[in-house]
Amino acid sequence: MEMMTVKIKRFDGRNSYYQKYEVPYEKGKTILWLLTTIREEQDPTLNFTSACRHAICGSCAVQINGNAFLACNTPLDDVLETYKTMNLTFEPLKNFEVIKDLVIVWEPKMEKMTKVKPWIIPGEEGSKEIGFLQSEEDFQQIAAPTDCILCGVCASECNQLAVNQDGYLEPFILNKAYRYIVDTRDGAPEQHLKPVLENDLWKCLHCMQCVSQCPKTIPLTDQIAFLRSATMAMGELDNQGAKHAYAFHDDVKNKGRLNETMLPIKTDGLVQTALTKIPFALRMVKKGKINPLHMPKQISGIQEVRKLYEYAEEVKS
Amino acid sequence: MLKFDVVVVGAGGAGMMAALSASEKNNLKVAVLSKIFPTRSHTGAAQGGINAAMGYRDSTDSPEKHFRDTVKGSDFLADQDAVEFFTSGMPDMISELDYYGVPFSRDEKGQVAQRPFGGASSPRTCYSADKTGHVILHALYEQCLKNHVQFLNEWFLLSLVVEDGKFEGLVAMDIRDGKIHPIQAKSVVIASGGFGRIYWSRTTNAINMTGDGTAACFEAGIPLKDPEFIQFHPTGLAQTGVLLSEACRGEGGYLINKDGERFMARYAPEKMELGPRDLVSRSIETEIKEGRGFGEGMTSYVLMDLRHLGEKKIMERLPQVRELALEFEGVDLIKEPVPIRPSCHYTMGGIHVSDYKTCSTPIEGIHAAGECCSVSIHGANRLGGNSVADVVFFGKYAGLGAKESAMRRSFGRTEKLEQEANAWKTKFKTIREKTTGVSMFSIRNRLAETMWNYVGIFRTESEMAQALATVDELIEEYKDAYAGDASVKYNMAFINYVEIGNILKLARAVAMGALNRRESRGSHSRGDYPTRNDEQFLKHTLIYKDGENYRLEYAPVTITNYQPEERKY
Ligand SMILES: Cc1cc2nc3c(=O)[nH]c(=O)nc-3n(C[C@H](O)[C@H](O)[C@H](O)COP(=O)(O)OP(=O)(O)OC[C@H]3O[C@@H](n4cnc5c(N)ncnc54)[C@H](O)[C@@H]3O)c2cc1C
Ligand code: SF4
Ligand code: SF4
Ligand code: FES
Repeated sequence: MEMMTVKIKRFDGRNSYYQKYEVPYEKGKTILWLLTTIREEQDPTLNFTSACRHAICGSCAVQINGNAFLACNTPLDDVLETYKTMNLTFEPLKNFEVIKDLVIVWEPKMEKMTKVKPWIIPGEEGSKEIGFLQSEEDFQQIAAPTDCILCGVCASECNQLAVNQDGYLEPFILNKAYRYIVDTRDGAPEQHLKPVLENDLWKCLHCMQCVSQCPKTIPLTDQIAFLRSATMAMGELDNQGAKHAYAFHDDVKNKGRLNETMLPIKTDGLVQTALTKIPFALRMVKKGKINPLHMPKQISGIQEVRKLYEYAEEVKS
Repeated sequence: MLKFDVVVVGAGGAGMMAALSASEKNNLKVAVLSKIFPTRSHTGAAQGGINAAMGYRDSTDSPEKHFRDTVKGSDFLADQDAVEFFTSGMPDMISELDYYGVPFSRDEKGQVAQRPFGGASSPRTCYSADKTGHVILHALYEQCLKNHVQFLNEWFLLSLVVEDGKFEGLVAMDIRDGKIHPIQAKSVVIASGGFGRIYWSRTTNAINMTGDGTAACFEAGIPLKDPEFIQFHPTGLAQTGVLLSEACRGEGGYLINKDGERFMARYAPEKMELGPRDLVSRSIETEIKEGRGFGEGMTSYVLMDLRHLGEKKIMERLPQVRELALEFEGVDLIKEPVPIRPSCHYTMGGIHVSDYKTCSTPIEGIHAAGECCSVSIHGANRLGGNSVADVVFFGKYAGLGAKESAMRRSFGRTEKLEQEANAWKTKFKTIREKTTGVSMFSIRNRLAETMWNYVGIFRTESEMAQALATVDELIEEYKDAYAGDASVKYNMAFINYVEIGNILKLARAVAMGALNRRESRGSHSRGDYPTRNDEQFLKHTLIYKDGENYRLEYAPVTITNYQPEERKY
């Protein structure tokens, strides 16, 4: 029988260590199946969270071999195949406080989210008695962002957040702000927008890690671009961040000057994306959006950077 | 000791609505206790929609028609006064939700869009693509954040404390640090969701739907009403039981047997695939039983075909459904039909709510709302889209009821609360220190198998008697159950242990109610009593727990406008 070696990062509140489990491989299972099997058949002390087991409750996200995934809707075979290994390493999501094993705490994130007033500030046209009118097109604006299941994958992947936990907002928080800014029923979009600007909106690195891993394929970076232009429309054009961000974008695209511009970043976002965009590709392949044979293999110069941008554009569309 | 005016147990649609209404415009101290983070609650899983006779899509629709459909759908076991209250209040509820920011899909006039749903005589199901419950849950959570509702997340209700028929408080564990707390409260709203997990893996329910609040009320002396009525959803994915929304049928999906027939023609010639759930579930099982399904035994299935809807419609209206089929069954339903079969979906029965306007129970201070209880508006069979509606609507009234209770009552004594908390502390210690015994997961799995095989979609006397005996054996074995985790902090093994205890208690009541209901009605379908028997059974089952013994009683059904007639679709 073929065995998988599964290493899981354990944490008991004080100490953390890696524990190894050998699990017989089975075809056609999910990552959640793997974790559940270990827990029920080998080690009932292993803790992780899950509830709906069909990608709607957002509780089961974990890191596998360095990338964040939703455990319940990620096919085990896809992961084994893409990483070309029978060895998997599980860790809790990054950029979250861990309580035990793979279990993380959400309250601090929700506390942080209140900064953007993550609730509707009802416009005057509506009332509790009759609700609102909203056109189909206007509903479409909020259809994608309200897909967010607060799973934390984007936050775990975010390269800016990794170095700027206090200053930067989690991509799902930006998404929430966006969701109310574009909601025609909201009467005070600036109240959601202002805090976004005040919290380092311009520091997004456009590394695309958040979008590439989001299990709901929410166009987070498009939204960030929108938020930026919205803040400029609000008369914030002069701010240092705006200038810097545009320079950054153009630089990278034209000259491929990666290292210089991205010096302050712990991990080099773009290169990281190129090397580890495996899961990204995985999902896109599955949905028939890209041909796996046409993927750039490694970054070695400006052509690759451009390709990466084109690729990113392609996938966004 | 922790002290609140109102405690809400559960942060799904019902719990958060209750918390919002209990804390609105007053100074009551309200806390919401939830074993999982609020937005993980199972309300989020509701895909298809929420019923309200807005009359937007069909101007001839009315709360009256919604009332009639619900009563008919319930196979006349619903209490009609409660149903009328519910259906007439629902249109306002939708506007309220709209005002809370719920992103409803819209029609061409910009009004909330509505779609047809099983068992409804008009298209009255309001929706947001196929993530209706999800967006409602998140909007309610946002409202709670806005209104500074106090959450105790990852706190687990262990039991309720009642003295002289009056509520005094509850005992709960803070899972994160493992501390067990007595909590004093003037009133409580139980909103802990359904107990579909008595069938463990053969359900569309989340893994935490173990009926803890229902079991706690049962233990505290409140009877279970109509527990035998379990709804099986016709379209679970064949391999996993994961639900494909009713919207698939609503949007025009076909059900096909091995011979390529749309077999619903045999069972509901007019409504076809849009017949009510119980009927469709039984029809599929009959096809399988009579050899017209695919596969064999437990892995049998029929096909649901959506290809004729075309890619555009599927991508627009059922994107989530398509993704589910892709991820869990490896089937792209734009190109192929998807294998499906029924799965346990909803528990109509539950905590006996004795006054629908305040959602109070026979015990002063205890209120209940949502799937954990039975008002009863669903009777023997719930209509699709009526549950999320039930949850928000009665969640609101339960919150108001609990608010009134809290304003009327004063805090009770604390002795019994302390005692009860200490008993749980001892139990926690014992289970932690236990190093051998019967695997709790094995007990759970055997329970599920027994319930699926013998108290499932088709039921007969001898099989159910056998099931009851097996459940009794499992309850015995449970006394020596082994959980396997010695730690204090975040001991999910202990939580699972308590949950398994709860589903055992509830499963026994389900089997007992089913065994004694010698008729077929709604979701309760008996091979040995194939027809409805109004003379003897037009009544609610009430099961009481006296220590280890279960006592069976019956209570009348409230009939106002609609006299029972044969249910034909
Ligand atoms: C897959 C699926 C699809 C569905 N689709 C529809 C649909 O389209 N339309 C429709 O009307 N209905 C639908 N339903 C039914 C409907 O979603 C549920 O009946 C309803 O959402 C239940 O809501 P609730 O508030 O009662 O409980 P839940 O949302 O289940 O919440 C229960 C809460 O109780 C808490 N809790 C439980 N036990 C404890 C404890 N011991 N201590 C502390 N807290 C506890 C949990 O943490 C949770 O917060 C669907 C159900 C399923 C399974
Ligand atoms: S694109 Fe921006 S928000 Fe997304 S992961 Fe990169 S830095 Fe974070
Ligand atoms: S935006 Fe995507 S990745 Fe981030 S929390 Fe929401 S669903 Fe998860
Ligand atoms: S278990 Fe709910 S999202 Fe994975």
